[in-house]
Amino acid sequence: MTASLFSRSGTRRALLVGCLVLVALTVSGCSKTYSVRPQFFWDSLFHPSPAIVNGLGLTLGISVVAQFLGVILGVFAALGKMAKFRPFRTIANIYIWVFRGTPLLVQLSFFFYGFATAGLFKWPTVTSGPIYILPEVLAGTVILGVNEGAYMAEIVRAGILAVDPGQTEAAKSLGMTYGQTMRRIVLPQAARVIVPPLGNEFNNMLKTTSLLSVLSVMELYNTFSVAAGNSFASFELFAAAAVWYLLLTTIWGLVQSRIERRLARGTATGSSGPSGPQGPGWRNRFFGRQYYDASASGLGGH
Amino acid sequence: MTAPGTAPGSLLGAIGGVPRPETDVVVDARNVNKWFGRLHVLKDVSIQVKRQEVVVVIGPSGSGKTTFMRCINHLEKIQSGRIFVNGRLIGYREAGSGKLVEDKEKNIALQRQEIGMVFQRFNLFPHMTALENIIEAPIQVRGTPREEAVAVGRALLDRVGLAAKESVYPNQLSGGQQQRIAIARALAMKPALMLFDEPTSALDPEMIGEVLEVMKELAREGMTMIVVSHEMGFAREVANRVVMMDDGVVVEEGTPDQVFSSPKQDRTKVFLSKIL
Repeated sequence: MTASLFSRSGTRRALLVGCLVLVALTVSGCSKTYSVRPQFFWDSLFHPSPAIVNGLGLTLGISVVAQFLGVILGVFAALGKMAKFRPFRTIANIYIWVFRGTPLLVQLSFFFYGFATAGLFKWPTVTSGPIYILPEVLAGTVILGVNEGAYMAEIVRAGILAVDPGQTEAAKSLGMTYGQTMRRIVLPQAARVIVPPLGNEFNNMLKTTSLLSVLSVMELYNTFSVAAGNSFASFELFAAAAVWYLLLTTIWGLVQSRIERRLARGTATGSSGPSGPQGPGWRNRFFGRQYYDASASGLGGH
Repeated sequence: MTAPGTAPGSLLGAIGGVPRPETDVVVDARNVNKWFGRLHVLKDVSIQVKRQEVVVVIGPSGSGKTTFMRCINHLEKIQSGRIFVNGRLIGYREAGSGKLVEDKEKNIALQRQEIGMVFQRFNLFPHMTALENIIEAPIQVRGTPREEAVAVGRALLDRVGLAAKESVYPNQLSGGQQQRIAIARALAMKPALMLFDEPTSALDPEMIGEVLEVMKELAREGMTMIVVSHEMGFAREVANRVVMMDDGVVVEEGTPDQVFSSPKQDRTKVFLSKIL
């Protein structure tokens, strides 16, 4: 029956039918061997336990800190890769090579369990005032950040290379040092190129934190995983976990587009900054800056 | 604020009068040689520029005039020879055996503070407003208090006729306006010397005049300037000297009248016949 359907209709329709069959099979299969308990799903979304709230906070917190660390390391690795001084280049290249060339899971296990077992380094518990960070959380965050830095390095480097060399020359000719030129002139402009892929990296980061479950970090995934083990409601709970992750990444997507719009200031497609005419966004987007300026402030009339 | 001898409405009045070069010879280039790989682009170039002198450098493209200009503030390295600005060796220090060793980045940056440069393609910072472009280096590099830098910046914007554009971003300005702001940006550092690298050749014809006006004003007020440009009118009006370069060599130099009206060298004649 299915085979004949596939041969007769187009690929898209066949896929649709296939999906429906799959869902039907799942539901009918469930009804025989597994009784779905929807309250597990709904409760963990609308009445999340303190464990889930905690896991959510941990996932978010670890993501933000690790990404921040990744960006900092990425900037230094990118500058190192482009340095005139050869040892800097070598260090940056080895760092990127190692952390991009090995699985994150292996890095996590090696630097946490491996180092502890060999007696090389035991990650400490950090307590300072209201802050209390478990060793596995600290290790997970740092390793995630270091791993992320290796990926950010290429993104930052591409961003720096996208800035017109004339900008560096202008800054130099005004007497700016390398550091001032980078900090004040090049990196702010590179940021425009870096932010879109950085947003994707953070989206990834939100999801990748689930790997910290191997260190027994009670982030979002591990919380649901443990709950599923206790209640055997794997279907409902992991579906709920997916919805939580989807919520995080969706909210991030909205934040990201706002940041990108802000950074576009001073470019051909951006809004015109604090003092310029603030018109409806669609006009800029459809006709570009030139059109809007010419009609609004008469700058085009030279 | 205005130094004696400077009119209150003048360009240099905005930065407190004519910046005083410390020596009578502001630029002293001696036997400068430069190679790009195997291409010998500057061959024993020697040029002197005295205080308050305006020197216009002409020559066909590829003659090395822009490269020479960029060597003066060490945007390009040289392989032999010496370039002194304000009596100090630029970009290098003498090692014992008469060899040149590239100077520390910090020292080079320090020397560049005294040398303003205006580029063919303006190179304004696109993420900063007109005023921010001008006050950036005084605040960051010279450590000028913000209020003072803003006051000087506004005065400069006023003198180049763009007071109304202080909070506008470069992409909203015409080429001529951008170049005038680039000149103001360089002046804000109170440089002893201004370098202009083909400042009008990326401009639409109707905007060349407004930029040349600012440059002429600057020349009349006594700024020491080196200008790579083919603007004959400008050279005739304000240049003390015209230097003709070809194939990495200084072919001829003299007053604008000498060089333009009765060139001695054939290469100069051929070149002038092409651009006139």
